[in-house]
Amino acid sequence: MNLLYQSYYFSSYQCDRGRCFYIDFGHKEVKFSFCQLLSLRQKLQKIDLNSHFDKELNYNGIEILSLCNREHLFVLDTYQVIDLKQLLKATFGILELNSLVTPS
Amino acid sequence: MKDIVRQKIGINVDIMDMLNEQIKKEAHSSAVYLAMASWCDQNGLDNSAEFFYKQSTEEREHMLRIFRFINENGGTAYSPEVSNVTHEFNSLQEIFESALDQEITVTKSIHNIVGKCRKVQDYGSEGFLQWFVLEQMEEENKIRKILEMFDLMGTDGMALKMIDERITHE
Repeated sequence: MNLLYQSYYFSSYQCDRGRCFYIDFGHKEVKFSFCQLLSLRQKLQKIDLNSHFDKELNYNGIEILSLCNREHLFVLDTYQVIDLKQLLKATFGILELNSLVTPS
Repeated sequence: MKDIVRQKIGINVDIMDMLNEQIKKEAHSSAVYLAMASWCDQNGLDNSAEFFYKQSTEEREHMLRIFRFINENGGTAYSPEVSNVTHEFNSLQEIFESALDQEITVTKSIHNIVGKCRKVQDYGSEGFLQWFVLEQMEEENKIRKILEMFDLMGTDGMALKMIDERITHE
Protein backbone atom coordinates (compact mmCIF):
# COMPACT_ATOMS: atom_id res chain seq x y z
CA MET A 1 0.00 0.00 0.00
CA ASN A 2 1.17 3.50 -0.80
CA LEU A 3 0.98 6.12 1.90
CA LEU A 4 -0.79 9.18 0.50
CA TYR A 5 -0.82 11.47 3.51
CA GLN A 6 -0.36 11.34 7.24
CA SER A 7 -1.97 13.91 9.48
CA TYR A 8 -1.75 14.13 13.28
CA TYR A 9 -4.45 11.54 13.98
CA PHE A 10 -5.04 9.79 10.66
CA SER A 11 -3.31 8.36 7.57
CA SER A 12 -4.54 7.64 4.06
CA TYR A 13 -3.30 4.93 1.71
CA GLN A 14 -3.87 3.78 -1.83
CA CYS A 15 -3.96 0.07 -2.58
CA ASP A 16 -3.04 -0.54 -6.24
CA ARG A 17 -3.96 -4.20 -6.13
CA GLY A 18 -7.43 -3.68 -4.68
CA ARG A 19 -7.92 -0.42 -6.63
CA CYS A 20 -9.14 1.16 -3.43
CA PHE A 21 -8.15 3.44 -0.57
CA TYR A 22 -7.72 3.03 3.17
CA ILE A 23 -7.89 5.47 6.03
CA ASP A 24 -6.27 4.51 9.28
CA PHE A 25 -8.30 6.11 12.05
CA GLY A 26 -5.85 4.98 14.72
CA HIS A 27 -7.97 2.26 16.28
CA LYS A 28 -9.49 1.10 13.01
CA GLU A 29 -8.60 0.90 9.34
CA VAL A 30 -11.44 1.51 6.89
CA LYS A 31 -11.48 0.51 3.23
CA PHE A 32 -12.95 3.01 0.74
CA SER A 33 -13.88 2.78 -2.90
CA PHE A 34 -13.23 6.00 -4.78
CA CYS A 35 -16.93 6.91 -4.61
CA GLN A 36 -16.94 6.34 -0.87
CA LEU A 37 -13.88 8.55 -0.54
CA LEU A 38 -15.68 11.26 -2.52
CA SER A 39 -18.66 10.87 -0.23
CA LEU A 40 -16.51 11.27 2.90
CA ARG A 41 -14.92 14.34 1.37
CA GLN A 42 -18.33 15.85 0.70
CA LYS A 43 -19.54 15.11 4.24
CA LEU A 44 -16.47 16.79 5.70
CA GLN A 45 -16.82 19.79 3.41
CA LYS A 46 -20.36 20.26 4.67
CA ILE A 47 -19.30 20.40 8.32
CA ASP A 48 -19.44 23.96 9.60
CA LEU A 49 -16.49 24.32 11.97
CA ASN A 50 -17.81 27.64 13.27
CA SER A 51 -20.70 25.77 14.86
CA HIS A 52 -18.15 23.97 17.06
CA PHE A 53 -17.39 27.28 18.72
CA ASP A 54 -21.02 28.20 19.28
CA LYS A 55 -22.76 26.45 22.18
CA GLU A 56 -26.18 27.14 20.69
CA LEU A 57 -25.36 25.34 17.44
CA ASN A 58 -23.17 22.47 18.62
CA TYR A 59 -23.17 22.19 22.40
CA ASN A 60 -20.80 19.23 22.67
CA GLY A 61 -18.49 20.15 19.83
CA ILE A 62 -18.72 16.74 18.22
CA GLU A 63 -19.64 15.35 14.82
CA ILE A 64 -21.13 11.95 14.11
CA LEU A 65 -20.01 10.60 10.77
CA SER A 66 -21.43 7.52 9.13
CA LEU A 67 -19.20 6.08 6.43
CA CYS A 68 -19.49 3.60 3.58
CA ASN A 69 -23.28 3.30 3.53
CA ARG A 70 -23.53 3.33 7.34
CA GLU A 71 -21.10 0.46 7.72
CA HIS A 72 -18.99 2.53 10.11
CA LEU A 73 -19.88 5.19 12.62
CA PHE A 74 -17.39 7.69 14.01
CA VAL A 75 -17.74 10.28 16.72
CA LEU A 76 -15.16 13.00 16.21
CA ASP A 77 -14.25 16.00 18.33
CA THR A 78 -13.30 19.39 16.91
CA TYR A 79 -9.56 18.61 16.67
CA GLN A 80 -10.25 15.34 14.86
CA VAL A 81 -12.67 17.01 12.44
CA ILE A 82 -10.08 19.66 11.57
CA ASP A 83 -7.45 16.96 11.17
CA LEU A 84 -9.68 14.76 8.99
CA LYS A 85 -10.60 17.71 6.80
CA GLN A 86 -6.87 18.39 6.35
CA LEU A 87 -6.22 14.71 5.59
CA LEU A 88 -8.86 14.55 2.87
CA LYS A 89 -7.77 17.84 1.32
CA ALA A 90 -4.15 16.71 1.20
CA THR A 91 -5.08 13.20 0.01
CA PHE A 92 -7.00 14.56 -2.96
CA GLY A 93 -4.14 16.96 -3.65
CA ILE A 94 -1.68 14.05 -3.76
CA LEU A 95 -4.05 12.04 -5.98
CA GLU A 96 -4.30 14.97 -8.38
CA LEU A 97 -0.52 15.28 -8.47
CA ASN A 98 -0.27 11.56 -9.13
CA SER A 99 -2.65 11.94 -12.08
CA LEU A 100 -0.40 14.65 -13.49
CA VAL A 101 2.81 12.66 -13.22
CA THR A 102 1.46 9.24 -14.22
CA PRO A 103 2.43 8.59 -17.86
CA SER A 104 -0.57 8.02 -20.10
CA MET B 1 1.63 4.23 -8.03
CA LYS B 2 -1.40 3.55 -10.22
CA ASP B 3 -3.66 6.44 -11.20
CA ILE B 4 -6.77 4.86 -9.70
CA VAL B 5 -8.64 8.17 -9.67
CA ARG B 6 -8.36 8.47 -13.45
CA GLN B 7 -9.49 4.87 -13.82
CA LYS B 8 -12.58 5.60 -11.74
CA ILE B 9 -13.60 9.08 -12.84
CA GLY B 10 -13.61 10.69 -16.27
CA ILE B 11 -13.92 14.27 -15.08
CA ASN B 12 -11.77 16.48 -12.91
CA VAL B 13 -12.74 16.31 -9.21
CA ASP B 14 -12.81 20.11 -8.82
CA ILE B 15 -15.05 20.34 -11.89
CA MET B 16 -17.30 17.73 -10.32
CA ASP B 17 -17.61 19.97 -7.24
CA MET B 18 -18.48 22.95 -9.41
CA LEU B 19 -21.04 20.92 -11.33
CA ASN B 20 -22.62 19.86 -8.05
CA GLU B 21 -22.87 23.54 -7.12
CA GLN B 22 -24.45 24.15 -10.52
CA ILE B 23 -27.02 21.44 -9.76
CA LYS B 24 -28.02 23.45 -6.68
CA LYS B 25 -28.35 26.61 -8.76
CA GLU B 26 -30.52 24.91 -11.39
CA ALA B 27 -32.72 23.38 -8.70
CA HIS B 28 -33.04 26.78 -7.05
CA SER B 29 -33.98 28.37 -10.37
CA SER B 30 -36.59 25.68 -10.95
CA ALA B 31 -38.14 26.38 -7.53
CA VAL B 32 -38.02 30.16 -8.03
CA TYR B 33 -39.82 29.85 -11.39
CA LEU B 34 -42.45 27.67 -9.77
CA ALA B 35 -43.07 30.40 -7.19
CA MET B 36 -43.34 32.94 -10.00
CA ALA B 37 -45.82 30.70 -11.85
CA SER B 38 -47.91 30.52 -8.71
CA TRP B 39 -47.99 34.33 -8.34
CA CYS B 40 -48.98 34.73 -12.01
CA ASP B 41 -51.72 32.12 -11.66
CA GLN B 42 -53.11 33.90 -8.60
CA ASN B 43 -53.15 37.21 -10.47
CA GLY B 44 -54.95 35.97 -13.57
CA LEU B 45 -51.90 36.10 -15.82
CA ASP B 46 -52.40 32.71 -17.41
CA ASN B 47 -49.82 32.87 -20.19
CA SER B 48 -47.13 34.16 -17.86
CA ALA B 49 -47.98 31.38 -15.44
CA GLU B 50 -47.60 28.79 -18.20
CA PHE B 51 -44.33 30.43 -19.24
CA PHE B 52 -42.91 30.01 -15.74
CA TYR B 53 -44.23 26.46 -15.33
CA LYS B 54 -42.35 25.61 -18.50
CA GLN B 55 -39.23 27.46 -17.36
CA SER B 56 -39.34 25.58 -14.08
CA THR B 57 -39.48 22.25 -15.91
CA GLU B 58 -36.61 23.30 -18.16
CA GLU B 59 -34.41 24.22 -15.21
CA ARG B 60 -35.13 20.87 -13.63
CA GLU B 61 -34.16 19.18 -16.90
CA HIS B 62 -30.90 21.16 -16.92
CA MET B 63 -30.26 19.99 -13.38
CA LEU B 64 -30.89 16.37 -14.34
CA ARG B 65 -28.64 16.67 -17.37
CA ILE B 66 -25.73 17.73 -15.13
CA PHE B 67 -26.69 15.18 -12.48
CA ARG B 68 -26.54 12.31 -14.97
CA PHE B 69 -23.32 13.61 -16.54
CA ILE B 70 -21.53 13.51 -13.18
CA ASN B 71 -22.75 10.02 -12.31
CA GLU B 72 -22.20 8.59 -15.78
CA ASN B 73 -18.58 9.71 -15.65
CA GLY B 74 -17.77 8.07 -12.34
CA GLY B 75 -18.39 11.04 -10.07
CA THR B 76 -21.01 11.45 -7.38
CA ALA B 77 -23.90 13.83 -7.92
CA TYR B 78 -25.64 15.11 -4.81
CA SER B 79 -29.36 15.75 -4.65
CA PRO B 80 -29.74 19.44 -3.81
CA GLU B 81 -31.55 21.10 -0.94
CA VAL B 82 -33.53 24.14 -1.98
CA SER B 83 -34.20 27.11 0.28
CA ASN B 84 -34.66 30.87 0.02
CA VAL B 85 -37.54 30.87 -2.42
CA THR B 86 -39.68 33.99 -2.23
CA HIS B 87 -43.36 33.95 -3.18
CA GLU B 88 -43.87 37.68 -2.80
CA PHE B 89 -43.60 39.99 -5.78
CA ASN B 90 -44.81 43.51 -6.52
CA SER B 91 -45.49 43.24 -10.24
CA LEU B 92 -45.15 41.14 -13.35
CA GLN B 93 -42.35 43.38 -14.54
CA GLU B 94 -40.46 42.78 -11.30
CA ILE B 95 -40.91 39.04 -11.80
CA PHE B 96 -39.40 39.12 -15.28
CA GLU B 97 -36.54 41.34 -14.10
CA SER B 98 -35.83 38.83 -11.31
CA ALA B 99 -36.03 36.01 -13.84
CA LEU B 100 -33.46 37.73 -16.05
CA ASP B 101 -31.17 38.28 -13.04
CA GLN B 102 -31.58 34.61 -12.22
CA GLU B 103 -30.58 33.59 -15.75
CA ILE B 104 -27.59 35.95 -15.75
CA THR B 105 -26.37 34.44 -12.47
CA VAL B 106 -26.63 30.96 -13.98
CA THR B 107 -24.85 32.09 -17.17
CA LYS B 108 -21.96 33.55 -15.17
CA SER B 109 -21.70 30.38 -13.16
CA ILE B 110 -21.60 28.21 -16.33
CA HIS B 111 -18.91 30.47 -17.84
CA ASN B 112 -16.93 30.18 -14.65
CA ILE B 113 -16.97 26.37 -14.87
CA VAL B 114 -16.02 26.45 -18.56
CA GLY B 115 -13.06 28.68 -17.65
CA LYS B 116 -11.98 26.21 -14.97
CA CYS B 117 -12.39 23.28 -17.42
CA ARG B 118 -9.92 24.95 -19.75
CA LYS B 119 -7.51 25.62 -16.92
CA VAL B 120 -7.47 22.00 -15.75
CA GLN B 121 -7.75 20.63 -19.31
CA ASP B 122 -11.03 18.82 -18.67
CA TYR B 123 -12.12 18.98 -22.30
CA GLY B 124 -14.90 16.42 -21.88
CA SER B 125 -16.71 18.59 -19.34
CA GLU B 126 -16.04 21.69 -21.41
CA GLY B 127 -17.67 20.05 -24.43
CA PHE B 128 -20.62 19.00 -22.30
CA LEU B 129 -21.06 22.57 -21.03
CA GLN B 130 -21.07 24.14 -24.49
CA TRP B 131 -24.74 23.19 -24.84
CA PHE B 132 -25.47 25.13 -21.64
CA VAL B 133 -23.56 28.19 -22.89
CA LEU B 134 -25.85 28.43 -25.93
CA GLU B 135 -28.95 27.51 -23.97
CA GLN B 136 -28.28 30.34 -21.50
CA MET B 137 -27.97 32.86 -24.33
CA GLU B 138 -31.35 31.71 -25.60
CA GLU B 139 -32.93 31.85 -22.13
CA GLU B 140 -31.64 35.35 -21.46
CA ASN B 141 -32.84 36.62 -24.84
CA LYS B 142 -36.29 35.16 -24.31
CA ILE B 143 -36.77 37.13 -21.09
CA ARG B 144 -35.07 40.26 -22.45
CA LYS B 145 -37.64 40.36 -25.27
CA ILE B 146 -40.50 40.15 -22.77
CA LEU B 147 -39.02 43.00 -20.72
CA GLU B 148 -38.86 45.10 -23.90
CA MET B 149 -42.65 44.75 -24.13
CA PHE B 150 -42.98 46.49 -20.76
CA ASP B 151 -40.80 49.33 -22.08
CA LEU B 152 -43.03 49.65 -25.15
CA MET B 153 -46.47 49.11 -23.66
CA GLY B 154 -46.19 50.25 -20.05
CA THR B 155 -47.37 48.49 -16.92
CA ASP B 156 -50.98 49.55 -16.34
CA GLY B 157 -53.88 47.06 -16.21
CA MET B 158 -54.71 46.99 -19.92
CA ALA B 159 -51.08 46.89 -21.02
CA LEU B 160 -50.41 44.11 -18.54
CA LYS B 161 -53.18 41.97 -20.00
CA MET B 162 -51.93 42.62 -23.52
CA ILE B 163 -48.37 41.70 -22.55
CA ASP B 164 -49.62 38.51 -20.90
CA GLU B 165 -51.50 37.60 -24.08
CA ARG B 166 -48.31 38.04 -26.09
CA ILE B 167 -46.22 35.83 -23.84
CA THR B 168 -45.83 32.50 -25.50
CA HIS B 169 -44.74 29.32 -23.86
CA GLU B 170 -44.17 27.13 -26.87
